[in-house]
Amino acid sequence: MHIGSAKICAGLLLVAGCVQAAAAVEDGVTMSTDPDTGTKSWKFAGDGLDIELIQVPPDFIRASYSARGLPSSVSEAVATRCVFGTIVRNVSDRPLSYRVADWRYTNAEGVERPIKTKSEWLKEWHAMGVRFSWSILADDPTFAVGDWIQGFTTLAEPHGSRVNLKVVWSIEDKRYEKIMSNLECAPAPENDA
Amino acid sequence: MKRSCRIWNARLHQRMMLKAIALFLLLAVSAAGAVDLPPLGHTMNPVSPPLAAPDFKLPDMDGERHALSDFRGKVVMLNFWATWCPPCRREMPSMQRLYEKFNERGLVVVAVNQFEDPDLVFEFTGRLSLEPTFPILFDRESRVSEQFKVKGLPTTYLLDKQGKIRYRAIGGREFDHPEVEALIEGLL
Repeated sequence: MHIGSAKICAGLLLVAGCVQAAAAVEDGVTMSTDPDTGTKSWKFAGDGLDIELIQVPPDFIRASYSARGLPSSVSEAVATRCVFGTIVRNVSDRPLSYRVADWRYTNAEGVERPIKTKSEWLKEWHAMGVRFSWSILADDPTFAVGDWIQGFTTLAEPHGSRVNLKVVWSIEDKRYEKIMSNLECAPAPENDA
Repeated sequence: MKRSCRIWNARLHQRMMLKAIALFLLLAVSAAGAVDLPPLGHTMNPVSPPLAAPDFKLPDMDGERHALSDFRGKVVMLNFWATWCPPCRREMPSMQRLYEKFNERGLVVVAVNQFEDPDLVFEFTGRLSLEPTFPILFDRESRVSEQFKVKGLPTTYLLDKQGKIRYRAIGGREFDHPEVEALIEGLL
């Protein structure tokens, strides 16, 4: 592990960004901690893919779903999971695709599990009469050059736990994968602990 | 209390609540996503072969219904978005600048909001540095976005005068970039 730092820091307004960008890099994955909020994020860029995972606290999920009028059964089902805000970008010069159904994570006990996909969430929500179709990461897109997307990745693990995430993607017919190790789920709020 | 006064008070209370919720959401999203946001690009990718855009009819902020086919004969930038989506918010001023530049020559921008209440969107647009003057339509149950097979927000399509989808962008963009303007020039 070594300590990396931002290469470009122009002007006083970017000082905070420079502090934030001071980050631990391990196996090509950069882990950053926001100095103000303590929110941790992990970023990998390689083989045409740029992916970033950001801790999402359960209170944020409850508040944002509630503000959209979604029933507590919907927000609790997501908020009680380990959730990462996920940004995926095609930085290659050809179409890139991924299927969340191909991704796996390994929990602290070494058990490998699939990730609940957006299609699986929507099936449940629609059966409950909830037509909200957003917030969960798209599960099988094909990105043209420069396309990118964001959404929640939800793992059936407790808050505060650690996981290794295997991300799989394809560019044309070539398959790539990357294991992002030691991701930390957002901690539980103090009043839940 | 007269019914009209009760309605007015309820409406005012609702607007204040929505304003508070919208502000909270903006702050919460900023806090949760306090890492650097990806820069907005400007590529719109060709859809080959061009596909006929499915027609739809949706209400605007005032409840007036608009059909996509009403805009036949014009170039249409069709944007699927929501206020809680950070790149949607970031790209909206660039769509307005594009609209101002090309509207008289036949470009229409149509922003199709997903799932949200018109009052909330009204509050949101009022706070933008450049308030949109193009139509904002409401797809409250995301049925139109399903027709267009939208995978995530924002997604933007560029339609030619015959109503065919010619270009697509998934993710936020700076639309008033010379490369996007050149695509529009080519369709006008």
